[in-house]
Amino acid sequence: MSETLIEMLGLTKTFPGVVALRDVSFGIERNTVHCIIGENGAGKSTLIKILTGALRKTSGEVSFKGRDWNPRSTGEAMRAGMSVLFQELNVVDQLTVEQNLTLGKERSSFGFERRNETQFEQTVATLRSLDPEITLQQRVGDLSVAQKQVIEIAKAISSNADVIVMDEPTAAISEEEVNRLFAIIRALKDRNVTVVYITHRLTEIFSIGDNVTVLRDGQMIATRSVREVASSCNDDEVESCSELIRMMLGKVVAEHYSAREVPEGDPILEMVEVNSAKLHDVSFALHAGEILGFYGLVGAGKTEIARAIYGLDPMTGTMRVKGREVAFRTPGQAIRGGIAMVPEERRTEGLLTKLSIRENITIMNMRPIRRFGLLSKLRERALARSYIDRLRIVATGSEQGVAKLSGGNQQKVVLSKCLNAESSILLLDEPTRGIDVGAKEEIHGIIRDLAKSGVGVIVFSSELPEILNLCDRIALLYNGRVRRILRNGEDVDSHMIMQIVTDSAGADAQAKVG
Amino acid sequence: MVSPRAEGSRINPQLIVLLGILLGFCLVFTMTTASFFSAENMSNLVRSSAFVIITGAGVTLLMISGNLDLSVGSILALSGCVYAFAAKAGMPVPLAALLGCLSGLAVGMINAVTAVKWKVTPFIATLGTMYGVRGFVFIITDAKTVRGGLPPDFSFLDMSHLGPVPLAFFIVILIVALFYALEKKSLLGKYSFAIGGNRTAAILSGINADGVVMRLYVIVGFLAGLSGVMMGSRLAVGDPNVGVGFEFDVIIAVVLGGTALAGGKGSIVGMIIGALIVQVIGNGLNLLNVLSFWQSIIKGILLVAAVLLNQALVRKKGR
Repeated sequence: MSETLIEMLGLTKTFPGVVALRDVSFGIERNTVHCIIGENGAGKSTLIKILTGALRKTSGEVSFKGRDWNPRSTGEAMRAGMSVLFQELNVVDQLTVEQNLTLGKERSSFGFERRNETQFEQTVATLRSLDPEITLQQRVGDLSVAQKQVIEIAKAISSNADVIVMDEPTAAISEEEVNRLFAIIRALKDRNVTVVYITHRLTEIFSIGDNVTVLRDGQMIATRSVREVASSCNDDEVESCSELIRMMLGKVVAEHYSAREVPEGDPILEMVEVNSAKLHDVSFALHAGEILGFYGLVGAGKTEIARAIYGLDPMTGTMRVKGREVAFRTPGQAIRGGIAMVPEERRTEGLLTKLSIRENITIMNMRPIRRFGLLSKLRERALARSYIDRLRIVATGSEQGVAKLSGGNQQKVVLSKCLNAESSILLLDEPTRGIDVGAKEEIHGIIRDLAKSGVGVIVFSSELPEILNLCDRIALLYNGRVRRILRNGEDVDSHMIMQIVTDSAGADAQAKVG
Repeated sequence: MVSPRAEGSRINPQLIVLLGILLGFCLVFTMTTASFFSAENMSNLVRSSAFVIITGAGVTLLMISGNLDLSVGSILALSGCVYAFAAKAGMPVPLAALLGCLSGLAVGMINAVTAVKWKVTPFIATLGTMYGVRGFVFIITDAKTVRGGLPPDFSFLDMSHLGPVPLAFFIVILIVALFYALEKKSLLGKYSFAIGGNRTAAILSGINADGVVMRLYVIVGFLAGLSGVMMGSRLAVGDPNVGVGFEFDVIIAVVLGGTALAGGKGSIVGMIIGALIVQVIGNGLNLLNVLSFWQSIIKGILLVAAVLLNQALVRKKGR
């Protein structure tokens, strides 16, 4: 039974300026469902990317089926028996189910496809056994996310995978589909397939996991059998096991937060019963000089709230800025209305990657550098300089291209851009994601200074320590709804927060009472 | 601390290389032919580059924003013929010239609506107007050159001189100066770079990307119209066949000048040097009596070679 299939020893991965995995060692046993849990940024994705060949390790040793394991591509990993179900599924929407099933495994004669009938039949049989409702001639684009997962699983099984790695497979599927997926996962064990299951939903571990490894800040905190963990929890509250939460979060204390008197008065931003495709009856208020945090898991609706405020997504409901009812249809209107946003994805959404620091910083507001309709490069450079000094951006100068800056400095450029917009409301979506600890602290300092100067700040983050360190009030999101809004302070309980945002047992009842 | 002026005012090394290539060809042709470096030939060179440079000034910004216009050749024919028709009908020549330019602007508006508002890929949208407008010109002219009964000052744009310098030269200088200022000093210019570099980030920074790109299409239409009027002026007729392949002359000049097809970088100065390189090669090979078939081959090779060189330079700079 307890044969070790995958073994990691001192596995380390560094990116420039960031250690993503530090000296991680644990084993995965054959024919088990091995869960890996941790917060965002804990190193889960990096770990599976190294296992499946999408990234190369920096140092340490990995063995798979007793042999040294260092695949150079996901293709190589797949052929050796390690398949992966990424969050962005690898299916081609435009092709049919049948074409997808054989994709990448075609054999050809003179460039024409020659099908291996026995292999194909086998794949089809596998698919049937997993989900009989899927027909071969359907376009994959018409299928649900869960059905696409099933197709990928069928592909993996038919290519004789020993291991299927699943990266948060339940993030985008419905509850009923989750149950069906779990049934499939249990059935996989009978087919001699080992499942490595990445998640940050605690309840799932107890439903399907045999063993669980907790990662935190790139380090392996513990590897335990799920049964052992469950028995150490209170019997009636297995799903909200505080031991796992404690391991996931470490010692969460708001070490840098000092409760301050937040000016109450009239809010500068009010949202009343806002609904959109992903949001349900979201209501809250933001005051000048306040830092309001939105915390929830991936897909809970953080980015959607930011996008709705910023005029990117259509919404219904009422939005008031400084008491005046507004409806922004473009970011341009939102910026003119006094709102600026630091988007979630720094490189693809925040930075003009081909331009210099100078050109990036002024792009949202060029009034300060315009004279008689002409832009002054001299003024622009001076302005960029002032931000480089103020935010301590490390660069060769204002002319340096932003693409070559480190993550932290890039984020400071994006922040400068928004500061230069001179807005009274600042939306920060994952302001320190993928940034090293030092720069993170600096950016937190900048955010606090901004709030002190009277700017209303909303921080959207999936990192609880960040929220607890920074925010005066904390809004907890689950599934597009604001479950509760708390005042930050000594009595805030990180376990209770985790229970609410993971929708663990009892959270509903608690939310109703609170 | 470095003074703000000293930092970053270096000239782009790519432009220096490009200028070197241009001067190199000039030197070769000056030594191998008797007439290359004559006042007449030089004036000829400038006048025949004028069309590409004027249209290219707008197309450079358009391509920096990550877009493309294939219809400028057809616009060239349309506006020249509209100009000729209007002048023939007795309209004062300057007004007729303006009408010609406006016909180009109208096509630019069509491109703006289809490519931006209706989100048809720019390649397809402007390919559509390229065929459509060409056909339209053939219909209104009955596929015949518009000649006879044109007023004597029909060719004023080509024939007039200010002192010893041709008027066309001044128009080119004016347009180039204007668009150089737009590229370097205006919101439109800066927004074009931003949109071509990262459209999502540009929109999230509050830029009305669609509005900017639509304006660029209209501007390009107008400039192609102006080029067509000047072409008509030069030919002294309205020719429905003129400008076939002109769109590629423009794109070649822009790309040679260092503008990325994907957008985000480029310069009008580079485009001008690019246009002159193409023109000088054609002119020099003509003077050497090289058969036009060979010229085509040589041009093709040079274009690819120039882009290769450009990529090599960029890669080196990137490291």
